[in-house]
Amino acid sequence: MLRNIGLAALTAAIFGIGTTAHAVDCPVKLGAILPVSGPMGQVGERIAETGLFAVEQFNEAGGVKGCPVEYVLRDTQGQSAVGVDAAKSLVDLDGVQALIGAVSSGVSLPVLTSVVVPSKVVQVSCCSSSESFTALAEEGKTEGYWFRTYATNRSQSAMGAKLVIDSGFERTAVIYVNTDFGVGLANRFEQDIAKLGGSITSMVAYNESQQSYRAEVTKALEGNPDSLFLVAFPVDGSTITREWLALGGTDNLIVNNSLRSDDYFAAVGSQYLQNLQGYDSAQPRLPSVASFNEMFEARFDSPPNGPGLHSVYDAVTVVLLAMEASEEITGDNIRDNIRLVTSPDGVEVHPGPEGIARAKELLAEGQTIRYVGATGALSFDRNGDVQAPKMTWKLDGDVNVETSYLTTAEVAELLGMLDE
Amino acid sequence: MIGVVSYLVFFLILSLTFGVAVLGLNLQWGFTGLFNAGVAGFIAIGAYTMAILTGPSRDAVFGGFELPFVVGLAGAMIASGIGALFVGLATLKLRHEYLAVATFGIAVTIQLVCLNWEYLTGGTLGLIGIPNPTKAWAEGPLIQNSLYLAIVAIVVGLTIAALELIVKSPWGRMLKAIREDEVAAASLGKSPERVRLEAFVLGCMIMGLSGALYVSFIGYVSPWDFLPILTFQIWTMLIVGGSANNRGALLGALIVWGVWTMSGFVLSRVVPSEIQARGGAMQAVLIGLILVVTLLIRPRGLIGEELQVSRHARS
Repeated sequence: MLRNIGLAALTAAIFGIGTTAHAVDCPVKLGAILPVSGPMGQVGERIAETGLFAVEQFNEAGGVKGCPVEYVLRDTQGQSAVGVDAAKSLVDLDGVQALIGAVSSGVSLPVLTSVVVPSKVVQVSCCSSSESFTALAEEGKTEGYWFRTYATNRSQSAMGAKLVIDSGFERTAVIYVNTDFGVGLANRFEQDIAKLGGSITSMVAYNESQQSYRAEVTKALEGNPDSLFLVAFPVDGSTITREWLALGGTDNLIVNNSLRSDDYFAAVGSQYLQNLQGYDSAQPRLPSVASFNEMFEARFDSPPNGPGLHSVYDAVTVVLLAMEASEEITGDNIRDNIRLVTSPDGVEVHPGPEGIARAKELLAEGQTIRYVGATGALSFDRNGDVQAPKMTWKLDGDVNVETSYLTTAEVAELLGMLDE
Repeated sequence: MIGVVSYLVFFLILSLTFGVAVLGLNLQWGFTGLFNAGVAGFIAIGAYTMAILTGPSRDAVFGGFELPFVVGLAGAMIASGIGALFVGLATLKLRHEYLAVATFGIAVTIQLVCLNWEYLTGGTLGLIGIPNPTKAWAEGPLIQNSLYLAIVAIVVGLTIAALELIVKSPWGRMLKAIREDEVAAASLGKSPERVRLEAFVLGCMIMGLSGALYVSFIGYVSPWDFLPILTFQIWTMLIVGGSANNRGALLGALIVWGVWTMSGFVLSRVVPSEIQARGGAMQAVLIGLILVVTLLIRPRGLIGEELQVSRHARS
């Protein structure tokens, strides 16, 4: 009996290290895999510094569970094999339970599939935009360990559908560019509009750079649509629009964000586009964003202009808050608690040492919080994606005017309803 | 402790996978004197072939035949071989630096094709969900990786055995004869063009094999895996290890990949993060320094070419 216990203890001692972390192991390590050299070096350096800045601010507020946070940075050199090795080394040799990075999807995805998911640690990227992550998550292959603070394109179809329904249109024709972008967007639009109670009269794909789109337009006119959703780029888009109007199509047009372009308006003629509506991404307008910008400027003597700076700050802060909320710092706990600290009905907290200190108090009291950070309110969907605020626009004469503004929360709510 | 073992297994898988490509290059450069600067391109062909043959089927993308792993390996070698045959027929009349420029251009072309031919390669999105056979055999990353290491080790062992057999054969001696003096070899009635092409195709097939092993382990392939830096890394491994020596080629892969990765590890331990973030080039400098010093001390590589005479000759 005694021997068995001894054996069990020994086994636990051998296999325990590296797989489970103790409740409080000072310092708490946070891994970062970023391209500080190589082709993305210029961008990566600033992102790495901003990540460190977020860690410093967290440490100013007392660190995670009373421990200072150590930011262990590894260079990916923009190379997938180097990034994969760096991630594995951080997980196995440094024992990190969460990784920030990488920048390019071509590095983040190999890291995710070959290191993060098998080792059950969390990965939060500031900058990877590929749709492959969403596809992988939908197949259940990320097991929830993947998050990104970079807004995805999912909301485009939802915004198009919303505009159609809000305008009271009932029978919509869809003409879309035959690329992965166009096909994906059009297919989602079809699902979204059905969910919102509209109907589609026809779905017509077109191939790029043709002289005329008469055949496509004629086909789309069948079924007497009262509106057209057009997914196109300016040159082909203006050809299609002209032919559509010339053949008697309605001027109730809803267009994707690529057509918010003066070239397109001029090529068709603004006077024909007075019933045109569109959507686009917008900058968040929140005090938390402004306060991050101020703190950043105070620290670096320059404004946070550049890709990934706001999103890496939030990636680091969310992970550290999730660690704070965890009893034991393990990948599984961080994964689950990221939801807890970005909960839509939680108490709102802001970036900066005071905000973090407040967040820690609230967590200690057992409350759920909602971190509203440098990119605004983060709300991760089930695939680990976040949304950016959106705006809608129309033409007034020649002038492009904003007609409405949807906050991140409103966009997330719309998507949540559509994805149910 | 288990972390160290786990990392070591992971490290060996990657370095031995590169080692396979180095063995292919060694046949071309070490034994035949062919300056192939398009290594990354042939690794890419093998990698994508593996992904297409063994990966899951997808809408709007060709392939996803879900064939067994071994079929993927064989297919990767065949595809790279066919690619090399066309490239070789077109370029092998060129010598030395001209061949290097031509093959370099071809590797860049292959990478761009991977980036743009979405129907075949998934374009910038790459191909996801490529199966790793060990995932079905066992639970837990360490055991799975150990099994994969065993597969890679077997492939490396078979490749070395086959290459040793080849280079010691009369055909292998002919390679060296061509490398040393093509005119002399031709005057003995040999056909240098044909033999160069054979060596080129065979070497590229081995590179394709390396690509196939890589994607199956990583589970994902994208054009960003095959940037020109990969060619440079494979070359460095061969030169540091010692060209015209298969054991040297393999040792070079271990040493160079070790330097490449350990330099990052050491820097992350020794240098504070704020300096690291700003001094991005430090790791590259460290890598360069170690490699240069190695070559100054051992100009012919760690294990150079062994003097070889016909096994029929009496000593």
